[in-house]
Order: sequence, then structure tokens, then C-alpha cells
Amino acid sequence: MIGFETVASPVGLIIGIVCGLIPLGVGLRYGHVKAGVWGFIACAVSGFACGFLGGLPMILMATAVVFSYAYVNKQDPFTSRQSLEEVNFEETTAEYVIRQFAAFGRTLRAMGIGLVRNKGGFIGFLGIMFFAIMSIFGPLVVEYEGSPRMDRRESPQSMTLFQLPSNEFPLGLDWQGRSILSHIVYGGQTLIVTSVQAGLMATLVAVLFGSLAALLGGFVDQILSAFSNFILTIPQFPLLLVLASILTFTSNFMLAVLLAALSWPTLMRAVRAQVLSLRERDYVEAAITLDLGLYHIIVREVFPNMVSYIAINFIFAIRAAMYALVGLVILGMVPLREPDWGIMIWNAQSRGAFYNPNAMMMAFAPIVAIALFQLSLILFTRSLEEIFNPRLRRGL
Amino acid sequence: MTEQQSLIELRHVYRSFEKGRVEFPVLQDINLAIRPKEVLCLVGESGCGKTTTGKIIAGLLKPSSGELLYEGENIEKFRGKRRAQVRRATQLVHQDPFSSLNPSHTIGQILGYPLKRHRMVKDRVELRRRIWELLTLVDLTPPGDIVNKYPHQLSGGQRQRVSIARALTVDPNLIVADEAVSMVDVSIRIGILKMLHNLRDVFDLSIVLITHDLALAKYFAWEGRIAVMYLGRIVEIGRTPDVIGNPAHPYTQALLSAVPEADPSITRSKEPMKLRSDEIPSLTAIPSGCAFHPRCPFHQPGFCDVASPRLGVTKQHQQNVACLPLNSGGELVQHDS
Repeated sequence: MIGFETVASPVGLIIGIVCGLIPLGVGLRYGHVKAGVWGFIACAVSGFACGFLGGLPMILMATAVVFSYAYVNKQDPFTSRQSLEEVNFEETTAEYVIRQFAAFGRTLRAMGIGLVRNKGGFIGFLGIMFFAIMSIFGPLVVEYEGSPRMDRRESPQSMTLFQLPSNEFPLGLDWQGRSILSHIVYGGQTLIVTSVQAGLMATLVAVLFGSLAALLGGFVDQILSAFSNFILTIPQFPLLLVLASILTFTSNFMLAVLLAALSWPTLMRAVRAQVLSLRERDYVEAAITLDLGLYHIIVREVFPNMVSYIAINFIFAIRAAMYALVGLVILGMVPLREPDWGIMIWNAQSRGAFYNPNAMMMAFAPIVAIALFQLSLILFTRSLEEIFNPRLRRGL
Repeated sequence: MTEQQSLIELRHVYRSFEKGRVEFPVLQDINLAIRPKEVLCLVGESGCGKTTTGKIIAGLLKPSSGELLYEGENIEKFRGKRRAQVRRATQLVHQDPFSSLNPSHTIGQILGYPLKRHRMVKDRVELRRRIWELLTLVDLTPPGDIVNKYPHQLSGGQRQRVSIARALTVDPNLIVADEAVSMVDVSIRIGILKMLHNLRDVFDLSIVLITHDLALAKYFAWEGRIAVMYLGRIVEIGRTPDVIGNPAHPYTQALLSAVPEADPSITRSKEPMKLRSDEIPSLTAIPSGCAFHPRCPFHQPGFCDVASPRLGVTKQHQQNVACLPLNSGGELVQHDS
């Protein structure tokens, strides 16, 4: 399985703790224990959640942040106010690496401030984190109930197992007497991961094709634009239905590929327009006269000014993929495998939960979960601009 | 004056742009030679082709026809490494300091990229020293306060200085300053112009200043030359004291008569030259003959609107001018028509 479907494991916790020793050590070495301890906690948690995949990047980030605290008081010749003759520009490689780390850490901190500053965006971020933590750490607390529980009938005569929320079962029981809470906890991961995969692939293809079309122009532009127009003119969801029923899906990843294949054109046109506008800027012209090369112009001049734009569109792509996915599942067009929020809605519909007040939670719980997750995504996009645009970031 | 090898020379340069199906000429028959260490001002009203000329000199646009010579050789003939060197030798400073610096890089990065890319420095230490030097040269002191800032944290004047420092990173021979101070606060302009003058001495630079402001051109290029452009042609070119002190072309005279004086009472009593029309003809329908004839108060019917004037000497003037009556040895006489 490609992706990062993951459940917190003891091995991960060990990895996380080992990773956390690095920022902790740096914090102790430079006398910033508080920052070091926070770095340790961050590493431990992300290692616990995702193993190496979470632990290793977090080492870099946490260490950089600790360095950025530690480096403030150090005299950098580059920020001194002395005159040219008095300044000593010599530095060892180690000092250079630390300085780069500290600069990276400062950027991360500025991004963090950008994240917190927009209230709506921060609430969205917390919402996303809530669902992520629930999906990853929830299984440690809640046990999955897969098989029917006939013993939970209220009385031997009762025909159904539906139950409204109670103290014992916070979200009630479904038609087989299983705890809906356990399905909510376990059922989000596949859906979220598959939509993120689909969004990621659609974004990658869109950015690649969009910038190629805009920068190369001419024939390439015409072909790519015509191709995207062709896909755009086909009604998306009906096509998806047809394709989903023809193809058999061996994995969710293939489903993500299909979703991405149909959703990249909108984003590609947006990226193309953005690149077309950015490449006419004066600073690109200056880079041309300075002969900095095409690679530099794309990667250093054009791309950094598109990051927030791409990130926002990435979120929108995830959103669209999730709706499409849930739609396919509800219509029964993809192989059903529990637990999954979409399948919960399908079950609710096919078991007549829509007509039975006692079975309300069967439909209500997954719908609210999906809607809340989507809302969190939309709110989060508000922060993205402030995170990635240095103009909006406040200096430290 | 001995004929000196010119640094950049434009020979019979034409340039046209297309808008939809309509093609209109922006530059027509531009002949211009810029000598090393020379200061040249291109003046004219908006739409006259100043910026296009500047971009052709900087190598950003190719002439539709005609040639661009660098040190006497056609620029198209250079290949490989030499071509890259030649292209770097002319740099452009943009008009708008708010869009000419990439908002996502710090000043240190902006200056560092070209230095690293073209191996102007051998190691990190030298890179930092060089950035520091450049910032000192453009009077951004102390440099330590500037290097780690983003462009949006600087004022317009400071950004314009960064933009000039960036142009200097690659050791150019010529800088085209396209309205470089017109978007900067008036109180800061003189400082930047003085700095450009100093840099010219330090780096042996030629400077082409593009401006619509004659007073500024007079101040900046007093030891150099002024070229006045009108509708894609140079109508008058010569040493600044000659052009300003004894303007030949009616267009230059009109421009000069419109410059306000520092003393308001003089400005109020000063009578601007009356043109026959205040409208600038469209580039898609350039008047026949001398392009200025529909507005020229000295228009001679049957002469100015038939033949096309070329730059040449006259009896009364030191500078070259493209005006039919003057070129043919006559004088400007006001006609009532």
C-alpha cells in the first residue's frame, strides 16, 4: 500500500523518543532547555504517530527551531553594525551549517506565527489535527467492532439493535449493535489518505503541465490546454461512475489515481494563468538580464510566489476528491470494505436509517464527521496565505 | 573630437509590435552610439519608444530589423561564453522598485544569486564580503541591517538602491536606468542620481537614463548627451548644454517651454509654446513626412508633411536635429494656417 496509513505503535514511540534526543541535546548544549524539551515532545509524538516518516523530518524541524532560539545571541558578522574593515567574515563550516539551520528555524517559527494569527485558519488547523489524531491514536483507546452484537438487544423481544447515544455508547449503536464511535474512529483513515493521495497527484500533474504550458508556450501550450479542455467538457461525476463500474479496483490507491486523472485540468488552468502572470514580472526580467538561467527562474523566482496558491488549490483538490469518493461509495460503485465513513452512510441508507429516529446516528455521525473535516480544510486555507507569503509573515 | 570606439551602437534599428492583426512601429530608424563612461539621457513623452529602446540596449528585446553592435561587433555573432558575457555587460534598472525585487527572497539572497551563478566570488566568505561591499557602495548602511530583510521591509528608495546593487553584481559596462527615480520620493532622487554618478566613476560605467523629466535629464547628463525622442524616432541629439541652451527642434522647444521654473512668478508669466494640436498621434497612424508636423507651429505645408527628415547638422546649432526646414538651411517661421 502506497501512502501513510498508520496506527500508533510502540515501535514508533521508541523511534520518536530516539529522534527527540537530538533537539533535546541541542537545547541542552546551547542552554535553551525549554525549546529542547518541546522539540523532544514534538519528535516523540510524530514518531509515535508515523514512525520514521514522522520522526525524521521532525528532527530537522525541531532542531532548526532550537538552533534559531540559540543563535539569536550569537554575534553574526552579517548582522553586525560595524564597518567593512572591522567585520570578520570568516566562519567555519560548522558555523555555516548552524547559521543555515537557524535561518530555517526562524522561517518555521514565522510560519507558525502565521498559522496561529488567523483565528479561522487556526481553528481549521486544529480541526484537521483533531481528525488526524483521532484516526492515528484513536485505535489505542477504542476497540473496533466488526461483527454483529446480538447480545446488545434492549429486550429479547426487540427486533432491532439501533440505539441512540448513551453513556456506554457515546454515538449509539448501528443496525448490528456495533458502536458507531468505533466506526467513526477507524473509518476516517482510508478516506482521508485516499483523498490526500488523489489531491497530491492532481496537484503535481497540474503544476507540472501548467508551468510547462505557460513557460514553453506555442505548440506544447496548445496541446496541453486542448487536452485539459477536453477533460473539462466531460461531465465529471457520471464519467467517474462509468469508469468506476468498468474498472475493478484492487486498491484505494488506484481509486486515487482515477480521481486525480479527472480533477487535474481545473487546477492546471489556474496554475498556467498564474505562471503566465508571474513570468512577466520585472524581477523575472532582471533575472534574464543577469543571465541566471531557466532553472533558477522557475525554481527561485516564479515558484516561491506560487506556493501559497498551489497549497490552497491542493486543499481544494483534497476536498473535491473526498466528496467524489464518498459519492462513489454511497452509490455502491466501489468495492465496499468496512470501516469507512462513506460506507456508513451507504449502510444507513440501505438499512432504512433515514426513516427511523432511533437509527438517526447511523447517518448523522458519518455525515457530521465528513462535513466537519471539510469545514476544517476550508478554514485552514485561510491561514495558508499567511504561512507561505513572506510579505504577510511578521518578522521575529 | 577623436572618434572613440563606441560601447554599444544601434544601427537603423526598427521595432514593431503586433496587437491582434494590427502591426504598429514603435521604433523607426534609431541610430545611437553610446561611448564608454558616457551619460546619455533619453527623453520624450510616454509612448515615444524610450523604454523599448532601453530594452533593446539591455538585450531584452530584439530589433525587428537593424543591428545592435557591442564594441563594434554585431551582438548576434557572439557565441557561447562570450555571448553570455556580452549579455551580462548591459544591465537594466527598472522603474518600479516595488515589482523589480522578488518578494520571497531576502536582500542577501537577491544579491547572492548572480554572484554565485557567475562565480564572481570564490567562497562563502568572499560572497558575504562582496554583498557587504555592494550594499555599502549603494549607500545602504549599515549593511548588517539590510541583508536579512525582505524587499517589503524596505522603502522605495532603499529598494531602488538594492536594484542598482543587483545590477552591479555582474560587473556591467552599461546600465540602462529606465525611469529609475520617477517612482521614488522627490527628496531621495538627487541622492540616487549622485550615487549613480559616483558608481560610474568607480565601475567605469556608461549610463543610459530614460526619463520624461527634462529638468532631471539636464541635471544628470550635463556632461553627457541628451536624445529627444518623438513617436519612435530620435528628433534631436547632442551635448546637454547645447540641447538645453539652444534647442533646435520645435518639439524640444515645446518641451522646454513647459518645464516649470523654481520661481513661481516666472512660471506664471512664462508662456508655454502654442502647439497646433495637443494630441499625440496614435502609433497605428503615424503622420506622413515629419511625424511632428500636425502639432508643429512652424509647419510648412507641402514640405514638412511630404518628405521625411533625417538627423543632420544645421547652421545655427551644435547638435544633430531632424527637422526639414532647419536641415535644408532655412529657419523656423511661424505660419498661420
